[in-house]
Amino acid sequence: MTKDGVVLAVEKRVTSPLLEPSSVEKIMEIDEHVGCAMSGLIADARTLVEHARVETQNHRFSYGEPMTVESTTQAICDLALRFGEGDEESMSRPFGVSLLIAGHDENGPSLYYTDPSGTFWQCNAKAIGSGSEGADSSLQDQYNKELTIAEAETIALSILKQVMEEKVTPNNVDIAKVSPSYHLYTPAEVEAVIARL
Amino acid sequence: NGLRSLRPPRSRRPRRNLIKEGRKRDTGHRTAPLRLLLQATNSGDSTTSPPSSPPSPTTAMSRRGDWVYENNGGTCVAIAGADYCVVAADTRLSVGYNILTREHSKICELADKCVIASSGFQGDIKALQKNLAARELLYQHQHNKRMSCPAMAQLLSNTLYYKRFFPYYAFNVLGGLDSEGKGCVYSYDAVGSYERTGYSAQGSGSTLIMPVLDNQLKSPSPLLVPARDAVTPLSESEAVDLVKDVFASATERDIYTGDKVEIVVINKAGTRREYIELRKD
Repeated sequence: MTKDGVVLAVEKRVTSPLLEPSSVEKIMEIDEHVGCAMSGLIADARTLVEHARVETQNHRFSYGEPMTVESTTQAICDLALRFGEGDEESMSRPFGVSLLIAGHDENGPSLYYTDPSGTFWQCNAKAIGSGSEGADSSLQDQYNKELTIAEAETIALSILKQVMEEKVTPNNVDIAKVSPSYHLYTPAEVEAVIARL
Repeated sequence: NGLRSLRPPRSRRPRRNLIKEGRKRDTGHRTAPLRLLLQATNSGDSTTSPPSSPPSPTTAMSRRGDWVYENNGGTCVAIAGADYCVVAADTRLSVGYNILTREHSKICELADKCVIASSGFQGDIKALQKNLAARELLYQHQHNKRMSCPAMAQLLSNTLYYKRFFPYYAFNVLGGLDSEGKGCVYSYDAVGSYERTGYSAQGSGSTLIMPVLDNQLKSPSPLLVPARDAVTPLSESEAVDLVKDVFASATERDIYTGDKVEIVVINKAGTRREYIELRKD
């Protein structure tokens, strides 16, 4: 997270050259001012993101204003606790997914991390997934509050490069930023960040 | 008490010819929300007559053959300024030609910068204002902040439309400060159609008051298209004086308006309230 916005970067984990990289979607937009990155059972994450999208639009309808990022995160965690909505559609197991929710509201940019227990924490920087321990300690060394968006992009991608087995290309990573609105980078923009590494 | 004289009319400010002003700009027409249609029933009908849109045969009212609404009269006014908002309502509660009480407040403070005034059927008004206050409290708990005036405006519209086929008989005016600290006034009809305006009057005396406000607040002409921000450039004390004048005038001719006027002024320092006596006949 920086003063101007939040940067999310994910490794797509393209397991085969036959796999279509654009079909692997691990960063999704929840609302114009909130995006989220996922790790774990992606199908479960889709359900959570869909619920968050409905909640944010309901809020816009009822109150004519965007929902705060914390309230959006809370709405997702409420669903995670219940294992689903209602009697019919609720699951018999927790949602097996961790999310990084990045957004911008009247309190500025913010980043929240959720886990299957339904707890959420606000963070300045966080890594989730299989390489997260190494990535987290690198983040601790490299993060400071005065970063710009460009510096944050470089740091995020260089840490991904450390934990990834394959080489970083525009096809196997995704970057998005929320500053102040959500934007998923095109392959050309990802290429530009890789060139700066 | 004897006769009380009217406050002297404001002759200092020149009267504006709104028609000429409007003609100078584009030939636009004032887009009248549904409230003007419904207001036809509100202007001094002592026998409670049905609202202009006849209820469908399946609604509760006509099935039982009972009339469930009543008009308890009263007038509400709100004026928005650059950094303040004035919301005022008289305190008379009446039914037919009788007065039920002279000391009934039609104003409810919903949030620290948001106040609602409603006239119409008191049963529905009480229920509506309680509902909104409860929703605001829930919002506070869920989102860790008070509701802003524009958010409350949208909520009120949705709440009213929810009962589209058995409406709240309440004509509302919402006033407060928006998130930038500017005054805002939202005015509604009975089923939730709303518009942000610079000033508004609702209730039994509204047709007497609205033309005076059009003339005396130095706001951009409402005949302009596209609509311009109609916040008044007057100062807070001038606006409050104007409110006292219009209520005194409306009291003379409208039997449902009188007794006292409760004036609530919201600015960045907070909210203050004053009561001015009106004619009691």
